[in-house]
Amino acid sequence: MNNRRHFLVKSASALTMTFIVPSLLSSNAQAKKPLDQKVTDKKSWGMHIDVDKCADGCTACVDACNEENGLTGFGRPETDSQWIRKIKIKDKTTEKITTMPMLCQHCENPPCCDVCPTGASFKRVDGIVMVNQHTCIGCRYCMMACPFKARSFVHETLTTQNTNAPRGKGCVESCNLCVNKIDHGSDTTACEDACIKSGHNAITFGDLKDSNSKVRLAIDSNSPRRLRDDLNLKQKVFYSNI
Amino acid sequence: MLRLLIISSLIFVCMAYLQPSHAHDGNPHISPGKSKADSQEACVEPTDIMRKEHYLFLLHQRDETVINGIRTKNHSLANCIDCHVSYDEKGKAIPINAEGQFCQDCHVKTATNITCFSCHAAEPRYPNHEKTISKDELKEISKIAKRIKDE
Repeated sequence: MNNRRHFLVKSASALTMTFIVPSLLSSNAQAKKPLDQKVTDKKSWGMHIDVDKCADGCTACVDACNEENGLTGFGRPETDSQWIRKIKIKDKTTEKITTMPMLCQHCENPPCCDVCPTGASFKRVDGIVMVNQHTCIGCRYCMMACPFKARSFVHETLTTQNTNAPRGKGCVESCNLCVNKIDHGSDTTACEDACIKSGHNAITFGDLKDSNSKVRLAIDSNSPRRLRDDLNLKQKVFYSNI
Repeated sequence: MLRLLIISSLIFVCMAYLQPSHAHDGNPHISPGKSKADSQEACVEPTDIMRKEHYLFLLHQRDETVINGIRTKNHSLANCIDCHVSYDEKGKAIPINAEGQFCQDCHVKTATNITCFSCHAAEPRYPNHEKTISKDELKEISKIAKRIKDE
């Protein structure tokens, strides 16, 4: 009888140690989304760009994006993919010249999704606007609809894609806020990392719904604006000092 | 004594049930090169199911990943490639859709065109991304490379 009791007690404690304790530990230890859970609207990713801090001639964010997503050009700047690019604007009255990065603005009301005939352009519940390349037919309506020229079309056969960023000929693509990194628990993008590393700190990325996140602090202290606010697209990329 | 015998036979039955019922055949299934899968006992599902239905798992997972952000490894194409890709004698990955390799070999036999690799990397390619490959995985790859060299 004793033997049997010991056996039962031991097997019960072994089961507890194997299944129950690790699950408790992992749920307490990780605040980030578990890999097997769907994304929720509890987070809303956004970006703040302080244009005054963005240096003329610096392309750290562009280079980092190209490296992260395996964007290799074919020496044809007219058609090569660019998920983030540097633009230069001039204020006609003050003649102030500003350089700043331009990327997908991740609109709350994205016109690219409105016009997409297959639903391939879509907004994830956490606010990331992206292309489902499995269903993209390459019609490029979204490219015409986007007021920010944020999207690119892949014209050439590609062979050196990164594992974390599948992309191919005949599909439209654009910045997805390093969605692979985010889903794996990161709260930075490649461009933000590069901007901090270059010492300029112009780009700040984070969760707009968290009032203590670095992006919210940057937005609250800078009173930035959205580009073409008149279109009422409610973008999640904010620009300061512009 | 009889009780002990019953308990031990029960444990044996339980263990047998918990073990993967369809083990890998144990033979290297690709030539040339060696893959991590060669040294594994079983795939993520029983081998006969994987042979017939792997594309259904991939089809399901692709929407879950792109739309819902689910990044579990079991049915992810990236993980299939990580495990099944072969390494040559220098430890360099051979694209999985190259002639005679894991994906291509069967699809040629069944006259099925694979379109995955027009967009997806056909070998593990993580430039500037050491974080996504664990140190254990890196070790395992270098072990495989060493084993191939020794052979």
